[in-house]
Amino acid sequence: MQSAFDRRRINGPEDSYHPVFANEIHESSSHVHRIRENRKISDIRPIFLQPGLISQANGSAYIETESMKIACSVYGPRQSKNTAYNEKGRLNVEVKFAPYSCELRRSPLRDAEDRSIAVAIQQALLSSVQLEHFPKSTIDIFLVIIEADGIEGCIASGSIAASTALADAGIDMYGLVTSCATAVKGTDLWIDPTQEESNTANGTLILSCMPALGIVTNVWQSGRIAPSEILACIDACNDRCTDIHSVVAQALLDSAPNKI
Amino acid sequence: MASDLVIPGQPIPLPRGPVPQLGRGIYEKDSQVRASLVGVPRFEGSSLVISRVRPQPPTSNSVVLGSITRLSPLQALLSIMVVDGIPLPPGEEFTGVIRSQDVRATEKDKVKIGDCFRGGDVVRGLVISLGDARSYFITTARNDLGVIFATSEAGATMEPVSWQEMRCPKTGKVEKRKCAKPEGLL
Repeated sequence: MQSAFDRRRINGPEDSYHPVFANEIHESSSHVHRIRENRKISDIRPIFLQPGLISQANGSAYIETESMKIACSVYGPRQSKNTAYNEKGRLNVEVKFAPYSCELRRSPLRDAEDRSIAVAIQQALLSSVQLEHFPKSTIDIFLVIIEADGIEGCIASGSIAASTALADAGIDMYGLVTSCATAVKGTDLWIDPTQEESNTANGTLILSCMPALGIVTNVWQSGRIAPSEILACIDACNDRCTDIHSVVAQALLDSAPNKI
Repeated sequence: MASDLVIPGQPIPLPRGPVPQLGRGIYEKDSQVRASLVGVPRFEGSSLVISRVRPQPPTSNSVVLGSITRLSPLQALLSIMVVDGIPLPPGEEFTGVIRSQDVRATEKDKVKIGDCFRGGDVVRGLVISLGDARSYFITTARNDLGVIFATSEAGATMEPVSWQEMRCPKTGKVEKRKCAKPEGLL
């Protein structure tokens, strides 16, 4: 415990709690099958995507889907240090939660959760990047989660932002990666669940794919989902990914004249 | 021209006839030609490319500029700062090594590294191979390759007097370097 303490930072109190308001308790007890207020269960949250916001980085993207906000920057290709000779490049993904991103304060030290999100995003992107063009080099992708709304949203939005940032950086890719999450609640499929919705779900599934090529790059499932439901989830996610692809394409085309 | 912009994964319509050579930013998969970069595909000679000015890692046959960081009797270490005329961002330099047998084309066994380079010299070189895990192998064995900028012991910028000597304009002292032939000289 002592070694995990970072003495260079102003550390907050050992534990702090979000004040609990009366109406919140009322809400959380009844949300199991509550209908979404402003969208259907088959709809995704509206996406705001802006490539090229971080000027120091080779490429960057900012994505916002309601209360899910991620900034992503891409550096490199730079020379791999302390690694053996490798004909192909390496893709290094690091995810960081801002201390104020969640309901409970996040410690600035890395923990297991950001690492598992980083692995999921790296898996989603790995087969889309033409790494054979970058021998002995490393491409670094850094994601800062400014506001989080569920791990599923972090992985899905993070993958989209990272793929957009890679395209913005001019890294050769086979195609753009888009990603979508689904939560299974009873017999319903809830697309793009929020934190609260996925907490009450039987299981969740995240599909990452390249819609332009019709290739699935990663499927990430947690919880209990029957095989038939998985297939339904994949179909639903695939449709949404195609929609998201057009958003990403439009964002890249709009920002392209500044780059070329 | 915005309508001609393509994004990664987008199929590129090709003119009738033989498939052109595919250059940077374009790949073929399942006999469909697709883009791998955001940009406008255009012909450069006979090959179709999407060009994008972006720092590239060195490959064999790229011309690099770098400064000498370390000397040893067998080799000189070089910090590559410019690849094919495109500068790398600060802090993202690649390391190259000039082995004594790669300094010049003739009398390779008589090369003394200390008589060819000094720390801080800016050198133009050619990448001969990706080298080992740590560094790229660079050669200066060509007339137009070698030291292009060096300061003397007195601190002045030296001028080349022959292919293996440079003179300090302040003290008139001659120092030994493997000089690159200046451009535009007969």
